[in-house]
Amino acid sequence: MIIDVHAHWGPWFFTMDVAAANLSAMDRYGIDLAIVSATEAVIYDARAGNRALAGWLTGQDRHLGYVTVNPRRPADAERDLREYLPTGKFVGVKIHTDYTGSPASSPQTREALAMVAEAGVPALVHTWGATVLDLAEVCRDTPGLRVIAGHMGADGYAYAIQAARECDRLYLEPCYSHAPAGRVARVAAAVDRTRLLFGTDSTLIDPASAFGAVAAANLDEETAELVAWRNAARLFGLDLTP
Amino acid sequence: MTAFDARKLVGDLEVTLDVDVLVGAHPDRDGPPGTPESVLDVLAAHRIRSGAVASLRAALFDVPSGNDEVLALDGVVPVGAVDLRDPLGAVREIDRLAELGVRAIRLFPDEQGVEAGFPSVRHVARKAAGLGLVVLTGGDVRRFWQPFAGLEATVVFLDTHFYHLGDFLVAAADEPGFHTSTRLLNSPDALETVPPDRLLYGSRTPHYEPLVPLLRLATSGLKPDEIAAVAGGNARRLLG
Repeated sequence: MIIDVHAHWGPWFFTMDVAAANLSAMDRYGIDLAIVSATEAVIYDARAGNRALAGWLTGQDRHLGYVTVNPRRPADAERDLREYLPTGKFVGVKIHTDYTGSPASSPQTREALAMVAEAGVPALVHTWGATVLDLAEVCRDTPGLRVIAGHMGADGYAYAIQAARECDRLYLEPCYSHAPAGRVARVAAAVDRTRLLFGTDSTLIDPASAFGAVAAANLDEETAELVAWRNAARLFGLDLTP
Repeated sequence: MTAFDARKLVGDLEVTLDVDVLVGAHPDRDGPPGTPESVLDVLAAHRIRSGAVASLRAALFDVPSGNDEVLALDGVVPVGAVDLRDPLGAVREIDRLAELGVRAIRLFPDEQGVEAGFPSVRHVARKAAGLGLVVLTGGDVRRFWQPFAGLEATVVFLDTHFYHLGDFLVAAADEPGFHTSTRLLNSPDALETVPPDRLLYGSRTPHYEPLVPLLRLATSGLKPDEIAAVAGGNARRLLG
């Protein structure tokens, strides 16, 4: 069993045509469940993208959704959280700090994450380099907030280790289009293993990237199971009984 | 066996020649020491039978002694590094390497702080193309295609990211000698979009995980003969 906590649904603006690639890629890598955000919501229009994703999710049994929040549009975010979280098809919030011009340390992202904490669901937040430390600071300052540091800081994974130590409600997921040697192994050796998750960034990135990086870390059986699904199931409160 | 067992997915794929292998270490990064023995061990553990190997010592510190280090290795294709911060010395080194029978040189513009528009890049590109040497180059393909344009150069872009795949494709359409490494072509359809005769497996062992591009290639939509070409056939055609 594998749960992918960082996946997407929808088209991308790069030279790629992968809108339909999702299920086949999941099957190939043994990914049973993917938690997705709508690319439209992440990149351009959160409300429109969330609405489209809600419609698509009604026909899916291997996907759950993130409500994407643009921290610059708090009223929209409040409406979307109220509308979509009770459906049971959405289990968390996605915030992309770059596309919204809202760094983790910005006032609007702090306010958005306070709203997420109030809603009682985890937030997946894009982190790159040292920004993961800013996310840890917001996490510490926001009671009850549970955050996933998307990409675990990418090339800044040493900062991600520090961030995870600074806030025990901060989780890490590894997806990254680069694969520096030993990145996942170092993080796994240094961070509480109950806060390590698996994410791919599919359909932007083929799951080969994250799967291969985690496979290269040679995690022991118990840690691998926590990373593959147990930690995610607990964090999102998922009932996985068949 | 865990959920992250890649062996079954990789299957019996063997790479006969990896176009992007280094010996040596980056002094500004944590990472493996990159001793030749350890690098060859990593390749063997991933069923990568040989590599086009260049020296970080040459790229970062001393060109001749670093290149001599890889020229002394058995069972690999030696690739000569040049220093773009010294274009005159770079050309002298290219002449020396060519006399020694080296077929390829490697450029490290990012590591050397050199931009595509610097005169040294065009100078070295002309020299290499004139001698019929293959150039393996790092750097952003959206910029580094330009100094090689119109030279009938044979170039392998080692840092082509799938974000920039479209730029590579339109540049390569006009340049039959332009090729790309697979290392960062990690989107779900990048490998399937590049003409297979222009794709070369590259891992950047030991500083990157060779398993990631291996897994992507093994699970790609390419046909078996295309996979074999990418896994070393194309590199052998270029590098011998």
